[in-house]
Amino acid sequence: MKHTTRLLDIINRSLTGPVMEEEAFNKQVTKGIRRVVKEYDIVVDKEHLVNLDDDLADRVFEAAIDFLAECGVYNQSAGRVILHSRGEIQRILNDASPEVLLGEGTDAVLERYRTVADSRPPLNMGSPIGSPIAEDLFVPVMMSYIQEPLVDVTCAASLITVQGQDIRTASPLEIMAAWAEVDLMKLALQRAGRPGMAWTGVIMSMSDRGQLSAVNPAGLRSTDMHTFGIVSELKTNFDILNKLTHSIRMGGIVDPYANPIYGGLGGGIEGQSVLIAAAMIALNVVFMATCCGSSPTHPFHFNDTGKELLQASSVAFQALARNCHLMTNLTITPVGGPGTKTLLYETVAFTIMSTVSGCSRILGPRSATGAVAGHFSGLEARFSGEVMHAAAKLNREQSEEIVQRAYACYSDQLDQQPYGQPFQEVYDLKTLQPTKEWLAIYDEVRNEVLNWGLPLA
Amino acid sequence: MTGKYNLLEEYIRDGDVDGCKAEALKLVGGGTSPLDIFSESIEPTLADIGDKFSRLEIFLPEMMESADAVKAIQEVLQPFLEADESLKSKKGRVIICTISGDLHDVGKNIVKAMLEVNRFDVKDLGVDIAPAAAIAAAKEFDADIIAFSALMLPSLPYVQDAIDFVKQNDELKDRFKILVGGGPVSEKWARKAGADGYGDDAMDAVQQALALMGTGQ
Repeated sequence: MKHTTRLLDIINRSLTGPVMEEEAFNKQVTKGIRRVVKEYDIVVDKEHLVNLDDDLADRVFEAAIDFLAECGVYNQSAGRVILHSRGEIQRILNDASPEVLLGEGTDAVLERYRTVADSRPPLNMGSPIGSPIAEDLFVPVMMSYIQEPLVDVTCAASLITVQGQDIRTASPLEIMAAWAEVDLMKLALQRAGRPGMAWTGVIMSMSDRGQLSAVNPAGLRSTDMHTFGIVSELKTNFDILNKLTHSIRMGGIVDPYANPIYGGLGGGIEGQSVLIAAAMIALNVVFMATCCGSSPTHPFHFNDTGKELLQASSVAFQALARNCHLMTNLTITPVGGPGTKTLLYETVAFTIMSTVSGCSRILGPRSATGAVAGHFSGLEARFSGEVMHAAAKLNREQSEEIVQRAYACYSDQLDQQPYGQPFQEVYDLKTLQPTKEWLAIYDEVRNEVLNWGLPLA
Repeated sequence: MTGKYNLLEEYIRDGDVDGCKAEALKLVGGGTSPLDIFSESIEPTLADIGDKFSRLEIFLPEMMESADAVKAIQEVLQPFLEADESLKSKKGRVIICTISGDLHDVGKNIVKAMLEVNRFDVKDLGVDIAPAAAIAAAKEFDADIIAFSALMLPSLPYVQDAIDFVKQNDELKDRFKILVGGGPVSEKWARKAGADGYGDDAMDAVQQALALMGTGQ
């Protein structure tokens, strides 16, 4: 009832809040971010990739709450702003759950709030996170992730077609695709011997149709994560609120995401760090998230592994980890694809930054920016899991040193689109094991980062 | 560049609408022609702003504010033009939108702002726009180019619908050029779909739009 009560309150606010045109709301976001960046003296150290400044993190948190209370979240469908006061935001944050069980039976895992430099590793959501995949490759690709012992939970790839037909938003094909994804994921989980592993998916269902049809006891279960994205920046609509409403009714684990665009309405690193923190708080306060996720996005390279986004994400997630007990997650979105060292170096940098900055779960890697069909494989998720466990043994200064070394290995590749090879060229489709060539590259980078001082097992 | 435009250029970079209007009027009052103000100062300043954004030395809000400031200058200088003169861009007229089934607008807004600082006249229809609505708006706006943004794979069939709608219509196929872009869109897809141009990112979209207007570099 608590959830239904809150849900009704949010729906009511979305229908009765102040009326505003969308363009005016966009300007309100920019103006609000500029104000708090100035008032809270938000200045990010441009040298470090991992934040080492606790006071800055605390100011970012305060700035984010101040900004969110003033700006709110925009409901595009009603042309109204959903507002919560600072006191209401703080009370809802205080009430957030610090842990949640994901999955069923012996495959279930406990996700727990982590603080900065927490010695417990985050959960590994090894997955291509909604990246496009051909129908015939869906099951082997997903099995390549699910079979990895260090993968705790997963997220489906997105089908390009259903029974050979292009999928079309808000059409019957979107519903058919959602169901095909459910059926194929169940098959992949069963075949990999982890039927109770928690998963999420239906990422490509932009309208509410696909998600509403797939979330039920025979599809995405109440023990799975129910994921939906909000519209950048800080916007929602009835499709998104319908997804939330259905997930609450089904008793699912609400696991939404917000991906602020770097250089967009939030501006540079400082504004971006406040906007990321505010968006994660909004996911909990407005969208009732149990877990709050992000993959902040570069406007031209579509990744999050560049210097500015490492810096902004590190400050934002430390701000959250130090000042509330939300369970938060980041998605590794590298430019590199399978068969490239770039992908692995980006994975090292982003995973260490996320682990030491207090994320409770790390998603991906969404290789090759998640835009290239089939350019992802389970091996990079094995690697990110290993890095998570090793990084949990590091403090921020040690993390910073290794992240800098990894970043130096790929910074010149970020605008080169090193998308690598498709799954079927880096994995043996009969054994579902990586090819010798892909394994050799993995071994080489693994040994290299061991020598840098990352305590891989 | 002469120093007489320094203040105007500073106001444009700051997005200071009132400052821009006052300084533009001052320049005209001092005998500078509106067309010279545009060709000698405003166009190179906007080009520099676009370049700076492409290197992320400035960000979307600053670029949008500069574009708004230039629109204000355009309005305030309109009465000073001779009958046959126009400050309207010669680069081209663009209808831009995010296609049906897709609500992402930041990428589209970046392309819009980049087109504006490159002196295109742009009408933004917003997000989740049906192909027929975009084409109707293009007719009304007398557009040269219809630019579609699609961030999600399942919205691509709607872009294909729009392309088919234009290219299979004898009245429309030579009237509008179709420019496409967004995460799942590739050059290969654009070519196969029959689009006239494909922008890999916002800067590329501008170059493609210039090329479609026959003014590419």
